[in-house]
Amino acid sequence: MLLVGENLNIMSRTIGPALRERNPRPIQQLAQAEAEAGIDYLDLNIGPARKAGDELMTWLVNTIQEVSDQPLSLDTANPVAIEAGLKVCWRRALVNSVSLQPERLEQTLPLVKKYNADMIGLLWGVEGMPRDANERCLLAVDLVYKANQLGIPNEAIWIDPIVTPVSVEINQVRACLEFMSMLKDIAPGCNSIVGLSNISNGTPAHLRPYLNRTYLIMLMKYGLYSAIVDAFDAELIRIARGDMPKIVKLVHRVMDGDRPDLSSLSKKEVDYVKTARVLSGESLYSHSWLEV
Amino acid sequence: MAFDIPKIDYTGRIKEIKLGSGDEALTVGGQSSYPFHLFEGEMPHPPRIAMEVYDSPPEEWPEAALEPFTGVTDDPVAWAKKCVNDYGAEMVCLQLVSTDPNGLDRGADEAAEVVKKVAEAITVPLIVWGTANHDKDTEVLRRVSELCQGRKLIMGPVEEGDYKKIGASAIGYHHTVIASTPIDINLAKQLNILLGNLGVPDEQIIIDPTVSGIGYGIEYAYSVMERIRMAALAQQDEKLQFPIICNIARETWKTKEVKIATEEDPKLGDARKRGILMEAMSAMVLLLAGADVLIMRHPEAIGLVRQMIGELTTS
Repeated sequence: MLLVGENLNIMSRTIGPALRERNPRPIQQLAQAEAEAGIDYLDLNIGPARKAGDELMTWLVNTIQEVSDQPLSLDTANPVAIEAGLKVCWRRALVNSVSLQPERLEQTLPLVKKYNADMIGLLWGVEGMPRDANERCLLAVDLVYKANQLGIPNEAIWIDPIVTPVSVEINQVRACLEFMSMLKDIAPGCNSIVGLSNISNGTPAHLRPYLNRTYLIMLMKYGLYSAIVDAFDAELIRIARGDMPKIVKLVHRVMDGDRPDLSSLSKKEVDYVKTARVLSGESLYSHSWLEV
Repeated sequence: MAFDIPKIDYTGRIKEIKLGSGDEALTVGGQSSYPFHLFEGEMPHPPRIAMEVYDSPPEEWPEAALEPFTGVTDDPVAWAKKCVNDYGAEMVCLQLVSTDPNGLDRGADEAAEVVKKVAEAITVPLIVWGTANHDKDTEVLRRVSELCQGRKLIMGPVEEGDYKKIGASAIGYHHTVIASTPIDINLAKQLNILLGNLGVPDEQIIIDPTVSGIGYGIEYAYSVMERIRMAALAQQDEKLQFPIICNIARETWKTKEVKIATEEDPKLGDARKRGILMEAMSAMVLLLAGADVLIMRHPEAIGLVRQMIGELTTS
């Protein structure tokens, strides 16, 4: 599985000021640290970047390429900034993202073709968030069709079904999984990606990794191709690299309806089982889900 | 082929809790099926209605809401007695509006003395409702709790921000706490877990999901209550198997649609009838969603809802 590091983000308390002040050091240090942690792609999230986004993205890509040769994911709503980034990327870049909103289709999609990039196909429709797995399918088919029309092959499209917080609406958490189980049939050859940490938005910080790791394992059951993740969650990276097969098997068993005897499991295994039961909608989420 | 009526497979039951003390104590909860689904399970105790009493003369109440309480609105003791003696209230809810720091800001001792007098004047179960200001409610409800020891009050709202001190006091003096969360099932479960961890016994917890009236988002309250009951009864979620209380009267009588006088907008119809029906219909919706205790105001609205409860619970 490919891992995209989420940490280079304008919302960060160190990176935000560094971007505004064009201070390369903190940014280069973070890029190197993400690579050392085992990340495959660096996501460069500069936010909406309405003013001078092109100049910022150009500077950022060049700054990172001075110290890193990892491929980059260009993450902004500003198509001018995306194009500026694509112009200076050495390696094939990932455009984050193209949705079905008309302005994205008109302005950002052609850039994917022009610069021979990969793209995240975000399943966000004209009417906003899809309500269930079926609406995600409709949006996926539509988006792939529009990309194909421009000559973008399925292999370049990484479908993002949109992960939403478990504390908001459990049916969406399940719908996202259900959609992932259907993706290979409705869009053969397409890849997939999720913004993983969103599953734990709103959860106390020290508990977020439990949800992130378990949901990743659940998505892996359906062949998830890539995920945007916290680069510094070492256990999560071990899971993605196939180094925790026992835990992965345990979570998949729970998804298949198996009820392992908790008293025979280690504390860590119990935590994974409880989290899997919450994420599959079997028990209701609360901040104390690991304690009950 | 014979037709089988679809049946829900219930696996849980709502806990029974006893409200108040003495001969007029009431038990609520105990259901083993969705509200009024008597064809699927039991509803051993009918929902109950508490009548509101304010601890200071109400401001901005429409005429229709004031009229039944003429002469007693400046005396909570007389008001509570009137509710019980004249209108047959099976419970009373004393709304401690006078303690609001943004209003009269009456001190804890003084407010608690009033609660004590009301508690002594009536024998039906007494709910005491603060202002949802964490610091003030902590001060006031702890004093109330101590002063009314043995009366088995139902007190709240107890929220995540003030549950520890009020909860501890409720444990010490054996009162029931109203676990209040803002229209969110996950937060409702969390607060119940926290109260349980604190040591509040299950028989002393009732859920306040936060409700609003028709036209003001009642569908959100309905949906959260419905999901609470589904988790409790069909998913064995023990932390949600509690009775539910709904503070609905104040939500309906403060709305523009209820307050506009007949002559101001004749198209809206008679203001009195309008207010009563808005309250009764909002309360009825909440009953269908799973309310066990309703806090209501107008005797005629209460009469309508009681009649419905009667019709829905007799086979």
